[in-house]
Amino acid sequence: MWLTSKIKQVLLVIKPGTVTLPYPFEPHPVPEGYRGQPSWDHHKCIGCGGCAAHCPARTIFIRDLCQDLRVMVYDGGRCTYCGRCADVCPEKAITMTKNYELATGSKKDLCTTMELFMATCNRCGRCYEMETKNAIDRMNLKGYRYDNLEMRAVLPVCTEQFDTGMLAKSDRFKRPERIGE
Amino acid sequence: MDILLIVVNVVVFLGLAPLFEGIIRKLYAKVQSRKGPPIVQPYYDLIKLLGKERLTPGNVAFKLAPMMAFASIVTVIMLVPLGFKVNILTQYADIITVIYVLTLGGVSVLLGALSSRNTYAMVGASREMITMIMVEPVLAMTLIMGALKAKGLAVSTSFFSVGDTGYGWGVALMLVVFLMALQAFVGRQPFDISEAEIEIIEGPFIEYSGPYLALFKYFMMIKQMFYAFLFVTVFMPFLQTGYYLANIGTQLGGILAVVVLISLVGSTNPRLRIEQAVRYYAVLILLSLTAVGLTVYGI
Amino acid sequence: MATIQALTDQLKKKFGNAVTGVENPSATQLFIDFKKEKVREICNEVLAQGGRYLVSVGTDNLAKDGTLGLIHTFAFDKEHYFLSLRTATKESEPIESITPDIPNAGWSEREYMDLLGMKFTNHPKPKKLVTADDWPSDIYPLRKEVPFNIKPLAAENVAYQLDECPEGCSIVPFGPYHPTQHEPAHFALFVDGETIKGSDYRGFMIHRGVEKLAQTQISYNEIPFLAERICGICGSVHAASYSQAVEIAVGHKISRRAEYIRTIMLEIERVHSHLLWLGVAGHLIGFDTVFMQAWRVREPIMWLGERLTGNRKTYGMIVIGGVRRDITPELKQDILNVIGTIEKEMITIKNAIIGDTAIHRRTKDVGYVSTEDTIKWSLVGPVARARNVDIDVRRDMPYAAYDEMKFSVPVVDCNDVWGTVLVRVLETFEAISIIRQALDKMPNDGPILTPFEDAVPAGMHGITAVEAPRGEVTHYVITGEENRPERWRVRAPTYPNLQGVPMMLLNNQLADVPIIIGSIDPCFSCTERMEVVDLRNGGMKVMSQSELEALSRNKR
Ligand code: SF4
Ligand code: SF4
Repeated sequence: MWLTSKIKQVLLVIKPGTVTLPYPFEPHPVPEGYRGQPSWDHHKCIGCGGCAAHCPARTIFIRDLCQDLRVMVYDGGRCTYCGRCADVCPEKAITMTKNYELATGSKKDLCTTMELFMATCNRCGRCYEMETKNAIDRMNLKGYRYDNLEMRAVLPVCTEQFDTGMLAKSDRFKRPERIGE
Repeated sequence: MDILLIVVNVVVFLGLAPLFEGIIRKLYAKVQSRKGPPIVQPYYDLIKLLGKERLTPGNVAFKLAPMMAFASIVTVIMLVPLGFKVNILTQYADIITVIYVLTLGGVSVLLGALSSRNTYAMVGASREMITMIMVEPVLAMTLIMGALKAKGLAVSTSFFSVGDTGYGWGVALMLVVFLMALQAFVGRQPFDISEAEIEIIEGPFIEYSGPYLALFKYFMMIKQMFYAFLFVTVFMPFLQTGYYLANIGTQLGGILAVVVLISLVGSTNPRLRIEQAVRYYAVLILLSLTAVGLTVYGI
Repeated sequence: MATIQALTDQLKKKFGNAVTGVENPSATQLFIDFKKEKVREICNEVLAQGGRYLVSVGTDNLAKDGTLGLIHTFAFDKEHYFLSLRTATKESEPIESITPDIPNAGWSEREYMDLLGMKFTNHPKPKKLVTADDWPSDIYPLRKEVPFNIKPLAAENVAYQLDECPEGCSIVPFGPYHPTQHEPAHFALFVDGETIKGSDYRGFMIHRGVEKLAQTQISYNEIPFLAERICGICGSVHAASYSQAVEIAVGHKISRRAEYIRTIMLEIERVHSHLLWLGVAGHLIGFDTVFMQAWRVREPIMWLGERLTGNRKTYGMIVIGGVRRDITPELKQDILNVIGTIEKEMITIKNAIIGDTAIHRRTKDVGYVSTEDTIKWSLVGPVARARNVDIDVRRDMPYAAYDEMKFSVPVVDCNDVWGTVLVRVLETFEAISIIRQALDKMPNDGPILTPFEDAVPAGMHGITAVEAPRGEVTHYVITGEENRPERWRVRAPTYPNLQGVPMMLLNNQLADVPIIIGSIDPCFSCTERMEVVDLRNGGMKVMSQSELEALSRNKR
C-alpha cells in the first residue's frame, strides 16, 4: 500500500514538470474582461455621480467646488475592483483596465482626480435644485452624496467617551435621509 | 602536508555543505512542480543572516550554543578521512570521540533551546532530546560494527572496515538500517519533528536570528553532509580509486546520490508524530543491535 | 414528521398563550413569535421534534418599542423548511440562555451580550467573545444609536482571562499568529506532556464590522460585494446567500438561467476550495508535495474564474436579482475543458493519497468526535458528514437550480480527520458532475438579471442557507428603511464548527493540533465579520524599534 502510493505520487509529480511562472520578470497573462484598475475618460464623463453612488467601497468622492466645477476623486486605496462603477456609468466613461500590478509606496499613485466643468442652465443659471428635486439622484434611492474631500484622509479620531448626546451633536453620524423628506 | 589535508577537509565540507542543501531544495521544488530557488541560495541565506543584527534574550548559554554546535561539527569533519585518506588528526580520535563530539552538537541545540525559555523551543527541545536518544544508538552501532570488524576503536581502521574485511549479512542489515535512519539524522521529513514549522515554528531555533541562526543553519547543513559522507565512506568502499583527488570526487558523487535519496524520501512523506517516530526508532535500534550481533559472529 | 402544520399545532397545544403569532410566508419559512419566558422549553420542544439549531439573531428595536429582539433559527432538514423563533425582551430584563441544551448557541448569545447588551441567565460561559478586551463595557456597538466608526480610547491592563488550566498542565499558546493559522486566532492549549487536556479560544481579532456597515452605510445592491469579501475562499457563497435571503424576504423571483449560473459558480467555488483545503491539509501534516500538487491542479480553475467573471477569486458575479455576467457558448466549452482536466488530475491525486499509510497515520483516529456529539453540537458541512451526519442543504433545502441536479452526498463514518479528507475528495467529483449537469440543462434564454421594480418594503424577514465548501452558510435578513437592511446576520460554517474544536482537540497530541484545526477548514474572517472594533490598542502610538525590542524581551 505504502509503496504503491509513493510510486503513484512520484508519477503524479513527474508529468506536469515545472509549472510556476517566472513572474516578476514576465507578466502573468490577463484574460479578456478582466477587472483591473478602473480608469476614467474625462471626455465622456458627464459628472452624473452614478459611479460614486454605486461604489460599494465608497471610494469615489464627489464635491462641487462651485456651481460649475465638480471634482471627482477616485481613491484606489480602498477600491475592490468590483467593476460596479463601470457597469452603472451611463456614458461608458469608465473602463476596467487590465492593470493589476498596483503595489506602490504612496497611496496617491492610485488616486485619480477629475475636475469636470459643469454647464449651467442658460435660463436660470442653475440646472436643478440640488437638495430635493434632482432627477439624477432619484436614479437610486440613496441620493446624491456631497463629500468632504479633505475629511476622507483623516482617520476618525478616538472618541474619548461615548454618550448619546455626543451623537446628536455630531453630523458625521447623521443617518442619510430619504430624498424629499 | 599534514596541515594541508586538514585544510582540504575543512574547505570541502564548509564549502560544499550549502551546495548540497541547495540541491535538496531544488529537488524538493522539482517534485512540487516549482522552479525553486537557485542552487546557491543557501550561500546567500548564510551571508545574509551573518550580516544581520544579533538579537538575544541576554543569556550567555544562548549565545554559546550555536558556536558550540558549529565548533563540534567542525571538529568532527577535521578528523574524518576525506578521500579515504587519514590525516594527522585521525589517529588521535577513535569512534567514541566522534560519537561524543557529534552528540555535543545535539546537546548545544538543546542548550540553546532551553536557554531561550520559549514554550515552543521547550517542546522542540524535548522532541529533539527524544530523537537524539533514539537515533544516536544507530550511529553508535554503525561505528561499533566497524570497530568490531576492524578489531580496534580507531577511526582510521573502523571507518574502512567494510572495505578491508568485506560485506556480510550484518553489514547489509546495518546499511539498510542506516539508510532508514538517515532522514532522522539530517532532520528531514518524516522526522523533522523537532523543528516542525507548522506545529512548533522551528522549535529549538525559534528565538534565534541573525549570525547565531546562521551558525545553526550552517551546522545543520554540515551535519547533513557529514552523515551522507559517513554512509559513503563506511558502506561504499568500492568508490576507492587509489588517487586522493579522484577519491574525493567519487566520494562527493556518492554524497550527491545520498542527498538525492534524502530529498526524494523527504518530499514524498508527511511528518510523523513523535510517538509514532519513537516506535520506528525502537525498531531501528533493535535491527542495528542485530546487525552488530551478526557481525560479532562474523556473518 | 414535524411538518409546518404539525409543528405549529404542537407548539400551540403545548405552550398555549405563550405562542403569540405564527407566520408562514412561503413553503420553506415558518416564523413563530412567543413570550420570552418559555424560550428554553420551546427550543427543547423544537429539538425534540427534529429541529437542527442554526444560529440566533439579535436585533435592536429599542427605538421602535424599547425591546431587544432575539431570534433562534432552526432547520428541519427532512421536512425542508426553516423555523425562526422570535421573541423580544426589555433592555434591562434578562432572558434565559438556551446554551445548556444547545451548546452551539453559546457564541451567538455571548455575541449579543457584547454587541447588544442582552443579558442571559444560566449561560455556562458568559465571557467576552466579540469585542476587544479593552472595549468599554457600556457601549454596545450593534445598537442603532452607536455610530459605525466609533473608536473608544484604548485601556490598559485589561487582558482576557483564560480558563483555568487543569492541574499539572502547562499552557502552550497557539496563535494569535502561528503558521498553522492563516488568520489570527488564539488557542490556549492546556498540555500535559504532549497530550492536550483542554483549550480555550479567544478569537474575533479581525472583525471588520461587515454587518454594521451594511446596516448603516451601504445599500441593498452593494451588499453582495461586501458579503463576498466576508470570505476570501467562498465569497460567492455569501453573496448568493445574502441575495437569496433578500429575494425570499420580499418574494422576488429571478430567472431560471440566472439560477443555473449561480449553481455553476457555487460549484466551481467548491472545486477550488476543496483543492485548496487538500493542499493546506497536506502542508499541515508536513507533506508539502501534496500542498503544491493540489494547488497546481487548482490553478486552472482560478484562471477559469478569471475568464468567466473578471477576477480569479472575488467573482463579483452574484447580485440581488441574478448574476452579472452571462456564460456564453465559448465559455461553456471552456468550463467543460477545464473541469475535464481537473477531474482527470483529481483521480490521479485521489489514487495517490487514498492508500498512503503515511497519511493515514497522521489523520486516522485524530480529532475523534462521536456522531451523537456532532449532532448535539450542531456541527455542519464535511466536518459533520465525516462523522456520519447526513446533512446537506443543497439537497435538503434546495436553492438556485439544485432541485434539478442529481448528486449524492458523501457521508462516511470515520468520525476523524481522515473522514473529512475523504468527504472533501468525493465532494469534488460530485461538484464536477453538478457543473456538467447544470451546463447541460441550462435554459438558453431568459434575462440574467431581474432588478427590483420598486423600493424594498421594510420589516420583512428572510432566511436562507447555502452549502458552502466548509458547511452551510446561513443568512438572515430583515429588510429596512433607507434602501438597506435593518438587520443582516451572517453565520459562516466555521462559527459552529470552531465551537466544536475544543472537543476534537481533547486527548490528542500537540502535533495534531494543526491538522485538527485545519480539518474544519477554518475561516476566521468568515466567523468574525461582526463589529467595528479597533484592536490596534494604542495603535496610533509609534514605537521605535528599540522600544519594541525592549518590550518583547521583557515579556517574561
Ligand atoms: S471598481 Fe468597485 S470599488 Fe472600485 S471604484 Fe469601481 S465601484 Fe468602487
Ligand atoms: S457614472 Fe460615468 S458619467 Fe457618471 S460621474 Fe461616473 S464616470 Fe461620470
